[in-house]
Amino acid sequence: MEATIEARGLRKRYGATVAVHDLSFTVPAGRVTGFVGPNGAGKSTTMRMILGLDAPDGGTALVGGRPYHALRTPLREVGALLDAGAVHPGRRARDHLLWMAHSNGLPTRRVDEVIEQVGLGGAARRRAGGFSLGMRQRLGIAAALLGDPPVLLFDEPVNGLDPEGIRWIRGLLRSLAAQGRAVLVSSHLMGELEGSADHLLVIGRGRLIADTSVAALLATASGDRVALRTSRRAEAMEVLANAGATVAAIDAETVTVSGLPAERVVALLTARALAFSEVVAHRATLEEAYLELTGNAAEFTATADPAEFTATAGREA
Amino acid sequence: MTTTTTPPGTGLGTSGSRLGAPGFGRLVRAEWTKLRSVPRWGLIMLAAVGLTILVSLLSASGSSFQANLVAPPPTGPEGGQVTDTFRFVHQPLSGDGTITARVRGLAAIEGPNHPWAKAGIMVKDGTTPGARYAAMLFTPGHGVRWQTNFVVDEAGSIASGEPWLRLTRTGDTVTGYESTDGTDWREAGSVELTGLPATAEVGIFVASPPSDRVERQFNGTSVTSRPTWSTARFDNVGVRPASGQQPATWTDEAIGMVEQAKPNAPGAGRVAPVAPDAPAGLDGPGVPPAALLSGVPDATGASTVTGTGDVAPRAVDEDLTRMSLSGALIGLMPIVALGALFITAEYRRGMIRTTFAASPRRGRVVLAKAVVVAGVTFAVGLVTCVTAFLVTQPSQRDSGFVPPLFPDRSLTDWPVARAVLGTALVLALVAVFSLALGAILRRSAGAITVVVLLMVLPQMVAGALPLTAARWMMRLLPSAGFSIQQTNPRYEHVSTVCLPETGCMPDSPWLGVAVLAGYVVVAVAAACWLVRRRDA
Repeated sequence: MEATIEARGLRKRYGATVAVHDLSFTVPAGRVTGFVGPNGAGKSTTMRMILGLDAPDGGTALVGGRPYHALRTPLREVGALLDAGAVHPGRRARDHLLWMAHSNGLPTRRVDEVIEQVGLGGAARRRAGGFSLGMRQRLGIAAALLGDPPVLLFDEPVNGLDPEGIRWIRGLLRSLAAQGRAVLVSSHLMGELEGSADHLLVIGRGRLIADTSVAALLATASGDRVALRTSRRAEAMEVLANAGATVAAIDAETVTVSGLPAERVVALLTARALAFSEVVAHRATLEEAYLELTGNAAEFTATADPAEFTATAGREA
Repeated sequence: MTTTTTPPGTGLGTSGSRLGAPGFGRLVRAEWTKLRSVPRWGLIMLAAVGLTILVSLLSASGSSFQANLVAPPPTGPEGGQVTDTFRFVHQPLSGDGTITARVRGLAAIEGPNHPWAKAGIMVKDGTTPGARYAAMLFTPGHGVRWQTNFVVDEAGSIASGEPWLRLTRTGDTVTGYESTDGTDWREAGSVELTGLPATAEVGIFVASPPSDRVERQFNGTSVTSRPTWSTARFDNVGVRPASGQQPATWTDEAIGMVEQAKPNAPGAGRVAPVAPDAPAGLDGPGVPPAALLSGVPDATGASTVTGTGDVAPRAVDEDLTRMSLSGALIGLMPIVALGALFITAEYRRGMIRTTFAASPRRGRVVLAKAVVVAGVTFAVGLVTCVTAFLVTQPSQRDSGFVPPLFPDRSLTDWPVARAVLGTALVLALVAVFSLALGAILRRSAGAITVVVLLMVLPQMVAGALPLTAARWMMRLLPSAGFSIQQTNPRYEHVSTVCLPETGCMPDSPWLGVAVLAGYVVVAVAAACWLVRRRDA
């Protein structure tokens, strides 16, 4: 099976609320694809449709080229963490994984392996009701890894994890992708994906806003700006402005320059013997890039019908 | 034979394709793991066991029976208690022979005819109540019947009119015939009365069973049983011994009547005129004067006979086995909760998505859950019912339910085994019913309420409804499944008052279970359809 997720024209509405509208994307093997958008954007709905839990009103979702319900041992093909709280509190962590293993004919050995892998070895025989949110996340991730599947979906996996846990899951996501698996990770916080996602699907109001690599997104957001640090700010601004650049003063010693590549800036300043201490290409953060992209979405957030928002949020829960 | 070769051209080579479809057994194993790994559910099961046994014990020690007030009824040749009370105009017949008579009418002295009033001819092993017999008889409600030894009843072909009846004895075999004209005879039945003495009593007889009047109000039901009297006219009465001897002389006798009408009973308000030739037992208070209109056949073979009573198995009201298992009605409630929780707990926490993601064929998941919950409930229910049956026996004996009126029962008697196995089966079916409603409603409270109401409420409200409505309710609601607990035999030819409020189920044991099973099948089918159709 090729390790991919493919959505073609996915549509889903709940009553009058459009949750997902004409969504198409591909999650290829070997990289971590981030799935970002504000709460209620349709991320969880999309994931449920991929997993065959919700039936799309239109379009198809394929895993490894096949619809989910055609999979006979789905845990061996797709691992998913949807809701870490979806565990019976009276059941031991190990028993929770055990029934899943039985349902797909997986060996009991796998249960013990994934428990160790997610670092729950000491809590395997404790009842899930006593788990912290972070431990439940780890249990949910163990469940996703149980069938050693080539395709993985994680819905907000970072929720509730402590910094150590966040570092652990970033490493895990990267290593899963490095093993050639297709990994789809959703988050409503762009920053959570920084350092782990290679590619981003940005979604707002159920529509795809961007399907781009992280590098390209950052480049767009950074907009070829150069930050310059100099004690002779006024002269430097004049020289650069005469050369056709747009110059903006940030503070007494810093200006940003756009419209000129960094080499030209350095050449112009050197020619006029204007001393400078720092010239750097301005790097936007993923968060800035995201906010720039979803400027519209922010507007939508402010004007959206509150009822619509609540309804969608309800489905997310 | 299993093959591991991949068909050419597919070459998918993924683990899923190699292993093929997951067997249903895997799903059952997964669901069993789920069930056994929640300790609270085990406690619920224990509660069901404890409640069933406790309530059964309370019910057994709470009812009592004062045996010394009732003389033990006669026992029939097939075992079991019988009513053997009737008017018998008879004579001894030595060796083989034939008795013939035509019934020219059978009517109650007052009030409507009892459908099972009987007028006919009989060959009987003496006049002791409970003695073996064979009879051809006519009833107002059910035409000509062939009846032997109390329990056997077969319909003849003549439904009304003035039928000719004949009994022929050959050795131990007695054969019954019927005819519309006295010339063309049709055989209606034959029986071997093993041990019938050389000289048996043959004659014409009339019996008229008591009529039951039921008065029902909320919180109170009274059943009044009043004796009825019926008069039959016979003609062409003739006894022909095979030996060619002259027939003996007739004796008019009220069989088994002595207990019923006690002369000089205190408080007797009316003294019946006593005819000089009134047979023993027909001279007490409460006997209408017309009851004495009776006589032996005259020279032409015509006779009028008036009688009361019945020749039939005795209907026993108390069903000790049912009483032993009565706790199941209460023990059922934790099982209902368990059945519902087994799926609603998953809906409540969103775990159903994990389940359906692991097994996308959702109908099979529901079925696997049903198999697991039914299997566990049946096993636990069986142990519980056997225990309840065994532990209630001593208290029932202490409460006065003793032989001979209440013979000892054993788990190896089929009606008892049927009740015990059947109650476990009913519990299992109810658990599945509750599971299916849990899948349909996705809420524990709703599912539990509906099932408990359907199973328990009918018995509680039956007393407040008109009898017909109450009986139909008991028939049509899933609580009909409890009919399997009834062990007392029912006979078509015995009218009984079946009061739902006393736990009497109108249906036969297996029919009731079939009704419950019908509900379960429909609910499971609806659940499978809905879970497939709905978003998880």
